[in-house]
Amino acid sequence: MASHFVTSADIPADGERLQNATASKVKMVSGGLCALLSLVSVVLLFFAPEQVRAPFAYSWLFAFFFFFTLAIGGIFWTLLHNVSNSGWGTSVRRVMENLGSVYPWLFIFAIPLLCPAVQQYLYEWMTTHREGLSQEGVGLFDGFMFGFYGSDSLKAWFYEHHHALLEYKAWYMNLFAWYVRMIFYFVAMSLVIRGLRNLSVAQDTDPKPGTKRLFQARFHSTYTLILFAITITFAAFDLLMGLDFKWFSTMWGVYLFAGSALNSMAVIIITVTLLQQAGYMKKVVTPEHFHLKGKLMLAFTIFWAYIAFSQFFLIWYANITEETSYFLIRNTGGWNIANIFLVFGHFVVPFVILLQAWLKKNPKLLSLMAVYTLIMHVLDHYLIVLPERSVSLMNILPEHFGHVTTAVPGAFWGDILAFVTIGSGFVFFFLRALGRNNLYPNRDPRLLESANVSN
Amino acid sequence: MSTTRKRVYGYLAEFKSASALYKAAEKVRDAGFRKWDCHSPYPIHGLDGAMGIKRSILPWFVFFGGATGLATGFLLAFITQVKIYPTVVQAKPTNIFTVPAFFPPMFELTILFSGFTVLFGLLALIKLPRLNHPLFSSRQCHRATYDAFFIAIQARDPKCNPDGTRSLLEEIGGSNIELVEEED
Repeated sequence: MASHFVTSADIPADGERLQNATASKVKMVSGGLCALLSLVSVVLLFFAPEQVRAPFAYSWLFAFFFFFTLAIGGIFWTLLHNVSNSGWGTSVRRVMENLGSVYPWLFIFAIPLLCPAVQQYLYEWMTTHREGLSQEGVGLFDGFMFGFYGSDSLKAWFYEHHHALLEYKAWYMNLFAWYVRMIFYFVAMSLVIRGLRNLSVAQDTDPKPGTKRLFQARFHSTYTLILFAITITFAAFDLLMGLDFKWFSTMWGVYLFAGSALNSMAVIIITVTLLQQAGYMKKVVTPEHFHLKGKLMLAFTIFWAYIAFSQFFLIWYANITEETSYFLIRNTGGWNIANIFLVFGHFVVPFVILLQAWLKKNPKLLSLMAVYTLIMHVLDHYLIVLPERSVSLMNILPEHFGHVTTAVPGAFWGDILAFVTIGSGFVFFFLRALGRNNLYPNRDPRLLESANVSN
Repeated sequence: MSTTRKRVYGYLAEFKSASALYKAAEKVRDAGFRKWDCHSPYPIHGLDGAMGIKRSILPWFVFFGGATGLATGFLLAFITQVKIYPTVVQAKPTNIFTVPAFFPPMFELTILFSGFTVLFGLLALIKLPRLNHPLFSSRQCHRATYDAFFIAIQARDPKCNPDGTRSLLEEIGGSNIELVEEED
C-alpha cells in the first residue's frame, strides 16, 4: 500500500468500541427472536405430536452443527494466528476471538441433543443401547474404567441378541463415553477461547503493554490446537456420523473441519466489512487484510473440495456396503441434483472467482463471496444431516413415516425454523461479544505491523 | 587506447539504503521513465508499487495453462477409457459419470501444465536465459548482489538525455553515477 504509513499516533489509546445504534437494535431483535423461537422449538422438540417432533430433531441437529462449525472455526483461527506467530492479522484477531467466544453459548442449543427424547429419533444405536440397559442385570458402569470403553454386561447382552456391530463398536459408541465426550467438547474449547480472549482483552487497558501476553497466548495455543482437532473431529463423529452407526469415514472429521475453517473465515470477512462500513477499524484494516483473508478463503475452498472429493472417491472406488450407504442415500432422487450442484457451487464457481486478486482486495465483493460461501455451507450441512431423516424415520416410526421416500413432506419448515432460532442466537451472542470489548487489540505489540501489512 | 566501438546503455546510480532506493524509485517513476530498473541484494516490500510496475500478465497464462492441462487430462482419460476402449472396473459406469476416476490425472495435469506455464512463461517474460547483460560492463554493478542499491535508467527511454537524467539522479540522492557503455 502506497498510502499513509500507520503509526501509533493514528491508533486511539483506548481503542475503538462498538457503539452503533443499528448493531444494538439488531442485537436486541435477534436476542428477542431467539428467545421466542427457542420456546417454540422446545415445544416442537418435546411436546408436539410425534410426526412433528421426530423430523424437527433432525432440523435442530442440522442448525446446531452449522453454527457450531462457525463458532469453533473462530477458535481455530485464533489459535492458528497465535501459534503461527502471525503479525498480519493482529488487527482482525479480536473478531476471530469474538466469533470463537460464541462457542460456550452454543451449549444452550446443544441441550436438546443430550436428551433421550430427542436422541431416540436421531441415533438408532442409542435406542438399542437403552433397550439393553433397561434389562435386568445390564448396567452402564461395569467393566474397564467404569465402563468408559463399554460395560461388560451390555456387551454380553449385545452378544446374546445378535447386535454384533454394536458389540464391536461399544468401546467407542456407548452412552457413558458419549456424554463424557460431549462435556469435554464444550468445557475444553470454552476454557481455551475464554482464556485466550481474556488474555487479549487484558492487554487493551494495560498501561505498560509488553510482549508477555503475546508469548503466553502463543504458548497456550500449541497444545490447545490439538484439543481443537480432537473436538472438531470427534464432535463430528458423535453428532453426525452417529446418525448411521453402520457407516464410517475416516475423513469425516477433517471434512467438517475444512467447511468450518472456510466459513468462519467468511463470517470474519463479513463482520470486518460491516464494521468498516459503520466507521470502525478504518485505520488498522486495509484492502491488504481482505486480500489475505480472501486468500485463506480460496485455500480452504480448495481444501474442502480436496477432502470432500477424497472422501467420495475412496468410498466410490472401494464399494464397501457399509461405506457406500452414505452416498447411495445422498445420490437418490432430488438429493443427487443437490449433490452435483454442490460440486460446482461449493468448489468450481468460488474457486474461479476467488482466483482473482483484485476481487479479494475489494471488501464488498469479497463479502458477497463470503455470503455465497455461507449459503453453500448451508447446502453442504443440509446434505450431511437431512437425507438421513426419511431413511431413519421410516424405520423408527413406520406408522407415521412408512410412506415417505427421499424426504419427509413439509419437514423443511422445521429446518428453516431451527436455523432461524439458532442463527438469531448466534447473531445475538456474536454482537454481544463484539460490543463488550475493543474491536481490535489496540495495545498489541504487533498492531502496527498488522496495520501496515503488504502482500 | 581501445578502438572498439561502444554503445551507451544508460546511467547507473548507487543509493545508500533500501529506503533511499525506494524513495528515489518513486521520483523516477513520477518523472515518467519507462525503461529503467532497480537492483538490490534482497527483495524490498512495495518496491513494485514505488516503481509503478503494473501487475504481471503471467497469472492469465497460468490460468489458461492449467485449464489446458485439465482438458488434456480429461480427454486423455475419457477418449481412451470410455470412447475407444470402454473399461469396466468393478461395475462402474463407462460414461460421463466415470469422471471421478479421472480426477487424479486431471488434477495432476492441471498442476503440471500450470507449473510449466509459470516456469516458461516467467522465463519468457523476463527474457531469460541470456548470455550477457550490458550492465555487466559496469564494474560496480556486481555489488547489487552484495551490499549496494542501484537504479539503472536506459538511454533507450524517450525521457532520457545525457544531462537531464544525470542531474535527476544526483538530485534524488544517487552517488557514483556512471554512464554504462557496452562493447559492441
